[in-house]
Amino acid sequence: MRALRFVVLALVALTVALPVRAAEGDQLDAVQHSVDGNYLDFLPFAKVELPRFFVVRDASGALGFDFYPTTKAALRSGDYVMKKEDGEQGGDYASDDAAAGYGGDSASDGAYGDDASGGLEAKLASGKHLYETIVPASGSMVIDLSPTRHLLFALLGMLIVALLFISMANKYKKGIGRTSAPKGTLQNMLESIILYVRDEIAVPQLGNKADKYMPYLLTVFFFILTCNLLGLMPYGAAATSNIAITAVLAFFTFALTQMAGTKDYWMHILWPPGIPVLIKFILIPVEILGIFTKPFALAIRLFANITAGHLVILNLIGLIFILAALFGPVVGFGVAVPSILMTVFIYALKVLVSLIQAYVFTILSALFIGQAAEEHDHHHHDESHAHEIARHASAPIVATNGSTQEKQLVGAPVTA
Amino acid sequence: MEGLAFAYLGAAIGAGLVAIGAGMGIGRLAGSALEGTARQPEASGDIRTTMIIAAALIEGVALFGLVVCILVALKTV
Repeated sequence: MRALRFVVLALVALTVALPVRAAEGDQLDAVQHSVDGNYLDFLPFAKVELPRFFVVRDASGALGFDFYPTTKAALRSGDYVMKKEDGEQGGDYASDDAAAGYGGDSASDGAYGDDASGGLEAKLASGKHLYETIVPASGSMVIDLSPTRHLLFALLGMLIVALLFISMANKYKKGIGRTSAPKGTLQNMLESIILYVRDEIAVPQLGNKADKYMPYLLTVFFFILTCNLLGLMPYGAAATSNIAITAVLAFFTFALTQMAGTKDYWMHILWPPGIPVLIKFILIPVEILGIFTKPFALAIRLFANITAGHLVILNLIGLIFILAALFGPVVGFGVAVPSILMTVFIYALKVLVSLIQAYVFTILSALFIGQAAEEHDHHHHDESHAHEIARHASAPIVATNGSTQEKQLVGAPVTA
Repeated sequence: MEGLAFAYLGAAIGAGLVAIGAGMGIGRLAGSALEGTARQPEASGDIRTTMIIAAALIEGVALFGLVVCILVALKTV
């Protein structure tokens, strides 16, 4: 059995290694895994370019909509050119090529067109065009609506989550899992995670309102988890390493928090009770800022954690090539062993981080919504309510103890 | 040194300070949580939840710092 496993592994390694050797002379795009792009990378087999959609304003000022199946097609059509680094627009490949000895008689205007297309084909063959900004040859770009790799993987994550949970919901509708025990590995596994989200994340933060927010919390948990794990797949990309996607997720939490906000929530922001008036004027801007920093931190946290994992792996792999270039190939091979071991360790850590970040995003969302939706009770942090607590006939001693404890734990969730 | 070099220097020092701050914060947090769990093992679940939330908040502040450092480092001219 063990020998069989070894043979299978060796075969897999060989099939991957052969094309890798073939592609050895090519330049590998090392950062591709962590940044976005208009292509899917199946190196060393193929690079699949994604379609491009542009909304442009032409020279006469009219809006136009352009569609090309690939970036290559957009450039070959001549309507779009690569933007140059220093701000000058494309169209001057001809002069580059003339300098490189392409066309000897490029001084005549007629020869420019041929030279330009020749230079373009050379650039397309090298694959450099995928990392350039594309601008229209005439007129100006209004918006680039091209789907990118991260968008595709976010949609794939959505699809996976939808398929899994719609089939799961149908099972529960039929009664499997409600009247009888859950059937199969998948249902058992997912039910235990769903119960964990409900009992450990939603209920402690939201109390009796947990059921109302469970659909959102479950969706966001499984979507983030799926996207994070897709980023660890071969040829995959983590949609959550794109700040736009995490910002949208954080915006949902922000909107839900504001919609859940009770009168007390807004009063504590706009006119915090029990505080001297002069301090109120310092505190109110801070509180208003706090509404926005919380979801902002949510977005940045998820984005930075997932991106950082990719970058650490990139650095560890890059170390091999940097040291090989500095001290020769022997040192490179020597460094490869600890470097790969470290990479495997970081990769395992990334699996853990994927789970933790999904958990953290969900629990913080639940916490923010819970704080906003909290019913006003008399066990409160402010001193203005202290007299109410003292008058609370039922349990004065417990109440005063509670209020002193709460003062030490300002900001922490209080379960009194 | 030119301005850009100072920007890189500032970014690198800033990233280091952020790491020190976050490390101290999360270290103290984990130490206290461990102590609390050792004293009262039956409360370990609650302690862990509170610890992760607080760690995430500390980490959030640290990441703000890192973002500022990245912005400084990426600022050309």
